[in-house]
Amino acid sequence: MTVDILGRAGQVRAAGECAPRSARDPVNQPMINNWVEALGDANPIYTSEAAARAAGHPGVVAPPAMIQVWTMAGLHGRRAADDPLQIMTALLDEAGFTSVVATNCEQTYHRYLRVGEHLRMTTALEDVTGPKRTALGDGWFVTTRNVWYSGEEPVAEMRFRVLKFAPGPAAAPAGADAVRPVVSRDTAFFWEGTAAGELRIQRCGACGTLRHPPGPMCPSCGADDPGYVLASGRGTVFSYVVHHHPPVPGRTVPFVVALVELEEGVRMLGGLVGVDPGEVRIGMAVEAALTRVDDGLTLPDWRPAR
Amino acid sequence: MIGPGTALPAMTVEATPTFVVATAVATRDFQDVHHDRDAALARGSKDIFVNILTDTGLVQRFVTDWAGPAARVHDIKIRLGVPCYAYDTLHFSGEVTAVDGDRVTVSVIGRGSLGDHVSGTVTVSGVTP
Amino acid sequence: MTGIGGRAAVVGIGATEFSKDSRRSELKLAAQAVRAALADAGLRPADVDGLVTFTMDTNTEAAVARELGIPQLRFFSRIHYGGGAACATVQQAALAIAAGVAEVVVCYRAFNERSGHRFGQFSTALASAPTSSGVDASWSYPMGLGTPGAQVAMVARRYMHVTGATSEDFGRVAVADRRHAATNPKAFFYGRPITLAEHQASRWITEPLHLLDCCQESDGGVAVVVTSAERARDLAQPPVLVRAAAQGSGPDQFVMTSYYRDALTGLPEMGIVANQLWAQAGITAQDVDVAVLYDHFTPFVLMQLEELGFCPRGEARHFVADGGIEIDGRLPVNPHGGQLGEAYIHGMNGIAEGVRQVRGTAVNQVARVEHVLVTAGTGVPTSGLVLGR
Repeated sequence: MTVDILGRAGQVRAAGECAPRSARDPVNQPMINNWVEALGDANPIYTSEAAARAAGHPGVVAPPAMIQVWTMAGLHGRRAADDPLQIMTALLDEAGFTSVVATNCEQTYHRYLRVGEHLRMTTALEDVTGPKRTALGDGWFVTTRNVWYSGEEPVAEMRFRVLKFAPGPAAAPAGADAVRPVVSRDTAFFWEGTAAGELRIQRCGACGTLRHPPGPMCPSCGADDPGYVLASGRGTVFSYVVHHHPPVPGRTVPFVVALVELEEGVRMLGGLVGVDPGEVRIGMAVEAALTRVDDGLTLPDWRPAR
Repeated sequence: MIGPGTALPAMTVEATPTFVVATAVATRDFQDVHHDRDAALARGSKDIFVNILTDTGLVQRFVTDWAGPAARVHDIKIRLGVPCYAYDTLHFSGEVTAVDGDRVTVSVIGRGSLGDHVSGTVTVSGVTP
Repeated sequence: MTGIGGRAAVVGIGATEFSKDSRRSELKLAAQAVRAALADAGLRPADVDGLVTFTMDTNTEAAVARELGIPQLRFFSRIHYGGGAACATVQQAALAIAAGVAEVVVCYRAFNERSGHRFGQFSTALASAPTSSGVDASWSYPMGLGTPGAQVAMVARRYMHVTGATSEDFGRVAVADRRHAATNPKAFFYGRPITLAEHQASRWITEPLHLLDCCQESDGGVAVVVTSAERARDLAQPPVLVRAAAQGSGPDQFVMTSYYRDALTGLPEMGIVANQLWAQAGITAQDVDVAVLYDHFTPFVLMQLEELGFCPRGEARHFVADGGIEIDGRLPVNPHGGQLGEAYIHGMNGIAEGVRQVRGTAVNQVARVEHVLVTAGTGVPTSGLVLGR
């Protein structure tokens, strides 16, 4: 099936704003009350005249984030035939990109709205890009721009982006299939350290012996209250491998894993990045290069020393 | 003194089914995936889930709870991550990233059990925490 | 001779065929191997009162006993650490027999390691166990090092650096094993010897290891029957005495990743096993006539030759290059083809070969065999046996 997505997008974009859609109701207190009640928002300027005036408003104002609420289509509403998002959605459905997910919503409020104001909203197509390989599947990003008017005055704007995608094989999101460490009470300090940008080496609280991998009790003196020191982040390659097969979750082969001897004397295993696998040598100087996989995991990788 | 790095007080929201449905209706969003569990399952979702208009509202509330009633919200820009299904708990955290005269930019993350649900920035003025 | 040495004997061995797809359950493989071993020994299931296997085996002693119709068990035990358990199963049996706890103990191992769960694949589950093993694995798996080949490759690279050994030196082990397998009809690689050039041309698994440095992945089961030396005299086969049986775990020991100790060029846990074996059997390395060395990866065969005292440190490559491990060499190694050539049954097929060499019934029989050394998994807490007449 050939659908000229970019060509059609160009036409829609050139058409500019569609006909404005009027809000069903003016900005009103009951809907504001419902909203603040549901969201648990206790800001008094939305419900109390006195509080609103104290805050410098002429009276009660609507929560800025409600802007879109006023012009929602409602329970039986339908988008207008000339709605740019509606047109692009139909087109991409036809091209096989049948699923949709919103990715970005950016609202700008020019001023606060008072009860009684009656809004209208226009929609224009801002951009269509694709096809892109995403975590969900191949798809197109469609960006629209809405403007809300009170009378002829623009009072708020929104840029809204959706991904229309064909569900199926696609790249996994970063970190989704990364192998995660089992973190125990004895090793948590290490992983908290990498997350905080620190490479920590366990140090016995009694005899001061450094140790990696860490454990609960010092094999040298028997003390069981270890602390840690920060590694300088410098070391040399003690040994290394170049992995080709079989596949490893979250990795692209070939990749290098190195056993690094830190200048503090302990050894530590980590990925060796930023180097051609063929250039790695035992004894080469390396420095720590913590790799943040996601919020839950930062790996103690290494790279050639600069 | 507010400056880059100033942390906002954490906010926790229990996304009960009642919360998901009440906020969807209060934002006039009647898409079935926000109130009809059977429909949500049929569409491949794990459960009903929080809608986007509510995310924007929660991010606003998180910031104004800290910034005070006198504050003015100028913009809210959010990026949507993993869904927040019913029965999940959202943990909001944030910090000031920039101060330009009276205007303060705050970065916000709302995290659920599946990961980052919403992240973004909010610009406010008249902050009186 | 001290301790348990010589007080127990292997009186029966049995196995299924070795294949890439057994097309039957692991329990069926176990039951068939045990039944075959009992038949070899001239014993009935009702004679068995003890069963020993690996913690990794998926077939419980109770299930195997049930299938065999063994009416009662008085002793059952399992050994940990993967292939390191192999010889220790026989040690368990010998200990139980020496202590009078059991009289006839069968050691077994059966799996669909090729058609079912393949150990050579990256196992995320292994790295996420909420145990000390899971915590240990967290120092390597998240970094991308989590396959046995990669774990051995890290040690092999350092060994090459320190000793000057090359990939070709590793390859000579593979060539010898495959040459032996080529004349063993039970071997998967029967009739298929390889050349050093083929080894060098085989694809990388984890540098510095080529595909042909790695053992096979196999389906199959092996069982051995152990009883007292006394009772062994009256059974079907000539008794093969357990002259020595030992376990060993070394300093700062990890499972496959003992990267944080010493020079990384030895296998200290195997040295601990060797010292006990020589003391129990009252022999030295020079008295060993055949060695069945655990060969999941070729570099560890070289390192074992050194650790066990067959040659000085760092010189195994010369020992191997001179034809030292051929059938007619100074130390015939793995005459059945080893796990590189016959099959990978977690070291248990090596014990069976040791028994055949002592009996004099091996397909590649070495002349005048008094003592056979059998070792278990390397890079892990391990075990070893000296079998003899």
